[in-house]
Amino acid sequence: MYRKILAAVNEHLNSEVAARYALTLASHLDAKLYICFVARKDMSQQARRAAEDAMKKLFHDAMEKNIRAESIAEIGDPVAEIGKIVRHEGISLVFASTRREDTERRFFTGTIARNLSLKLPCSVALVRVVHSGRVHPGKILVPLKERIDHVTERAYFTAALARTFKSKVYVFHAPKKVTRFFHGEIHLTPEDWEQRMPQDISRFTEQLEQQEIEHENRLLPGGTGKNITIEAFAKRHDLIIMGASERRLFSSLLRGNPVEYVLRETPCDLIILTPRHED
Amino acid sequence: MKINSLSREDALRSLASSEHGLSGAEAARRLSENGPNEIRETRRTPLGMKFLKQFTHFLALLLWCGAGLSFLSDCINPGGNMSTLGFAIIGVIVINAVFTFIQEYRAEKALETLKKLLPFYVQVVRGGKDKKVHAYEIVPGDMIRLSEGDRIPADARLIESCVLRVNNSSLTGESEPLLRNHAPSQGELLESPNIVFAGTTVTSGSCKALVFATGMATEIGRIAHLTSAVESGLSPLQKEIIRTTRIIAFLATVIGFIFFVIGHFMGRVFWENFIFAIGVIVALVPEGMLPTVTLALAIASQRMAKRKALIKNLTSVETLGCVTVICTDKTGTLTQNNMAASRIWADSKMVETKDFRPQTSDMFMKIALVCNNARFTDSEYQGDPTEIALLKLAGKSIGDLGTERIAEIPFDPDRKRMTTVNRIGDREYIFTKGAMESIMPACSGFLLHGMKQRMDETFRKQAMAAYHELMDMGLRVLAFAYREHEMQRARDNHPENDVLKSDPTSPQSIETDLVFAGLIGLEDPPRPEVPAAIRKCHEAGIRVIMITGDGARTAAAIGREIGLIKGEPVVIEGAEFTTLDDRSLREKLSAKEVIFARMTPKHKMRVVSVLKEDGERVAVTGDGVNDAPALKKADIGIAMGISGTDVAKEASDMILLDDNFATIINAVEEGRAVFENIRKFIAYFFTSNVAELVPYITYVIFPVPLPLTIMQVLAIDLGTDLLPGLALGAEKPTKELMTLHPRSPQEKLLNAKILALVFLCLGPIEAAAGLFGFFHLLKQGGWQWGAIFPSGDILYMQATTACLTGIVIAQIANVFACRSSSESVFSMGFFTNRLIFAGIAFELALQAFIVYHPWGNTIFSTHPLSLATWLVLIPFAFVLFFADETRKAVARQTQLRRSSMSTLSR
Repeated sequence: MYRKILAAVNEHLNSEVAARYALTLASHLDAKLYICFVARKDMSQQARRAAEDAMKKLFHDAMEKNIRAESIAEIGDPVAEIGKIVRHEGISLVFASTRREDTERRFFTGTIARNLSLKLPCSVALVRVVHSGRVHPGKILVPLKERIDHVTERAYFTAALARTFKSKVYVFHAPKKVTRFFHGEIHLTPEDWEQRMPQDISRFTEQLEQQEIEHENRLLPGGTGKNITIEAFAKRHDLIIMGASERRLFSSLLRGNPVEYVLRETPCDLIILTPRHED
Repeated sequence: MKINSLSREDALRSLASSEHGLSGAEAARRLSENGPNEIRETRRTPLGMKFLKQFTHFLALLLWCGAGLSFLSDCINPGGNMSTLGFAIIGVIVINAVFTFIQEYRAEKALETLKKLLPFYVQVVRGGKDKKVHAYEIVPGDMIRLSEGDRIPADARLIESCVLRVNNSSLTGESEPLLRNHAPSQGELLESPNIVFAGTTVTSGSCKALVFATGMATEIGRIAHLTSAVESGLSPLQKEIIRTTRIIAFLATVIGFIFFVIGHFMGRVFWENFIFAIGVIVALVPEGMLPTVTLALAIASQRMAKRKALIKNLTSVETLGCVTVICTDKTGTLTQNNMAASRIWADSKMVETKDFRPQTSDMFMKIALVCNNARFTDSEYQGDPTEIALLKLAGKSIGDLGTERIAEIPFDPDRKRMTTVNRIGDREYIFTKGAMESIMPACSGFLLHGMKQRMDETFRKQAMAAYHELMDMGLRVLAFAYREHEMQRARDNHPENDVLKSDPTSPQSIETDLVFAGLIGLEDPPRPEVPAAIRKCHEAGIRVIMITGDGARTAAAIGREIGLIKGEPVVIEGAEFTTLDDRSLREKLSAKEVIFARMTPKHKMRVVSVLKEDGERVAVTGDGVNDAPALKKADIGIAMGISGTDVAKEASDMILLDDNFATIINAVEEGRAVFENIRKFIAYFFTSNVAELVPYITYVIFPVPLPLTIMQVLAIDLGTDLLPGLALGAEKPTKELMTLHPRSPQEKLLNAKILALVFLCLGPIEAAAGLFGFFHLLKQGGWQWGAIFPSGDILYMQATTACLTGIVIAQIANVFACRSSSESVFSMGFFTNRLIFAGIAFELALQAFIVYHPWGNTIFSTHPLSLATWLVLIPFAFVLFFADETRKAVARQTQLRRSSMSTLSR
């Protein structure tokens, strides 16, 4: 599915760490890796040097691991330039990093990372790097909502990362609590919840099983964003992979946005996947 | 793969850093990327919003509508005094909101105390130069320097170290300093010896460390997040109150609407029907319920404080009563945390400590005395309770040896042993003490009657059998070993052989070829009150799960001694626990008797979560910083008042002032009484609500004036009923309360039995009292059936006052009736709850104010009554009281017959 992977690098360390996910995945999938840096015109010399150093380091590491790699440096608008590269090279997956600052404004004014995930014609994995101590994730938390699209690609991406890092996958779903007007909240046991497992999630886990990925399912009713972070903190997960938000600004303001919440509060690295491959 | 397993170079590379640290510009960039190194609170609902929410729930919305319509009615149809009613209803909303908010409020200060664990300034290497910077400026990739006494600002990987010891008690609960080193190590980050953590302290030595996690990404940040984000959810009482108020609000609306329609078809004008509908709603809503519940909880919490249980948020008082599982620590809670050596195994013989006769030359006692950090200074022992016990034993046995300590390898939970190198006279020794499984493999010989023997399989088996025997007695067992060490002079001549100067990262190099000296079994006696408390728990259907760091055999033996276990318990050890998935853990937890051994506090939250997911209501004890998330997650988090950290206390719902398990059970008893008492005053309030409703129904069905005004309804609900109701909330727990199983979540506050009692027995008698007073006065005043009074008519006001007085008098009898569901007041003791008399005195005083004071007359549209009217109404109180006593007698008889039938059938 992912024959050509592009890693977008900039002057920040986070982008280098994010690119390492791409590098390791490319190595595992035997995909070609494009290490790309687009310098904005107003970029300082120092920042440009930092990005170029990162690019060199990554390229060197790719060579060491016998990965087919190519470095591309451009000047201009990062979103437009990366878009051009993606179309020209037929890239199937782009890795880019999203930063702490982004979490504050990405939803309101847009950021490069968010624009990449919205505008690129290929799948995009936005990586938020939080914890540099967990070099290879051993426990991957995959929160899924009730209805998901691109099930095959999501499962493939998760399985590929799990196999790359030899990690265990924890499929997580936070359903709404069951309530009745006069009775209030109805307590359901984990077995009861398991029987209510949404179909799409079952399909996802079936695909993990087919790919022989060790996994565990967990349902925890309540607020989605909060429950995901609590689960990640409590069980010391090393990486979270979740889908990009589909909520619009108004809906997010009204009902909150779990993806934005997790982006802000995540205790471990987070990958937000926008899949584009049809099932 | 984690940073602890990387080589120093790879660790530096992974964080794009170097031995010279980051440059200033890079550090600034990373600061903007990662944010400041600080503990911050997760986003949560502001306090103001929480308060505002109290004005928007279903009942409040209904009352807002009522108030709005009252004002509208006053605008369209002035002169009906409807605006006063509108204000009164708003008053009811505000009172209810304030009291509910007080119930739910709890100060969240746990994070403030966690923040104090981080330092203000830290020594950092930036661009190759040492600098002192604010701790919040530390970023991943920074190289920090730490030395003795420093608090560690972030999670960091050691790059260089010099005999570094850290105190990780804030994370692990272990107060012993741990030796750290910079060599790569495998395994979990938290247990890794080359990692130091934010919020912990350097007790000795120094190091250079590479920061890899800051702020909320650190371990202490993890605890902070869980402590602030985890919520135990609504308490059972809160759920019940929501449910009850919804039912009442719904019933009130439906009944109000039905009678509005009936009134319309009977030809009454719209405004009359409208006032009537609002009256029905106000009459049916027990306005005084929430304030009384809150005050009753406050009184119960005061009572608990007298029994050494300090309650931090009010609803926890009742939650305690429905707890089904208590997860408790062992040391200090079930036991006295007062270690004493109980048995000794030496020279292949087991002896009691009192029979042990050592000689001054006894090497065994020398180890116990010298390989020990406890001290006797200023006439008191200081140090770890286990070491104090050893010091007492050895000091008493062989006195002071006048030794010199040359080196020490502190106790380490991973190695499970401690070693010192000492000079005694002209000889040097290596002394080691620790867990049997850690000491025995390091021994090549053993001591028998003062002579060194070669270790063999027979002795090993013998020692292991003794070890198991001691553990089965519930003792904590320590093994002791030694070896004579090469003298300094010899080491100086051959420095290459000096193990003390050799790689400090491998203490194993000196802890080899030891001579096994013996075993000491230490006893931490159970608290004397604990066995009875455990028995009480079992009778009350509460499961007690012990979570301890001790070994399985010791834990099981203690469990047996205190009556916690009777059969074969399921014992889950820490190592097994981490490998169990939730489903397997759930299965194990469903066993009747469960013990967790060799556990650390970090595991507690998972135990609590799994139990809660299974529908249990869980109380958990804790004292350490890392207990805080579990304390927050549990239905009742119980912190230790004496040994507990501030963080644990802040995160808890209840603090045990004496750290005693028995106090929890006392509090459970009070909690159960609270639920029963709330039920009692709900029955009390509902009786008057029925009596308030009947006059309205009379008004709509018959051509009579309204016997009770809405303001008079409020005078009962928020005035005369309040203190007697509160007095019911102060009823003491009955004896049988702790013989019943915990309340099922299906058991409702407002059940069919209470509704039947109120609607079919107590309510109608009270309503009859009110209506009798009303019509008696009207009849005396010459009223003709069907005549309607003009506004302000004195006879009408006197009649409504008589109706109000009739209900109030009947409520005096009702407060006695509601004291128990089946027991006679005479057998309970008429004067056992003196607050009831104070409540009645208040009730009568308020009623006198309403009836006789001009202000009371103006506000409530009343008029003074003659003594004769009072005397006419008093018999109704006796009727109600004896009717209920008769009902109780019948109920008791029926119950007796049923139980004798079931005995016969068995």
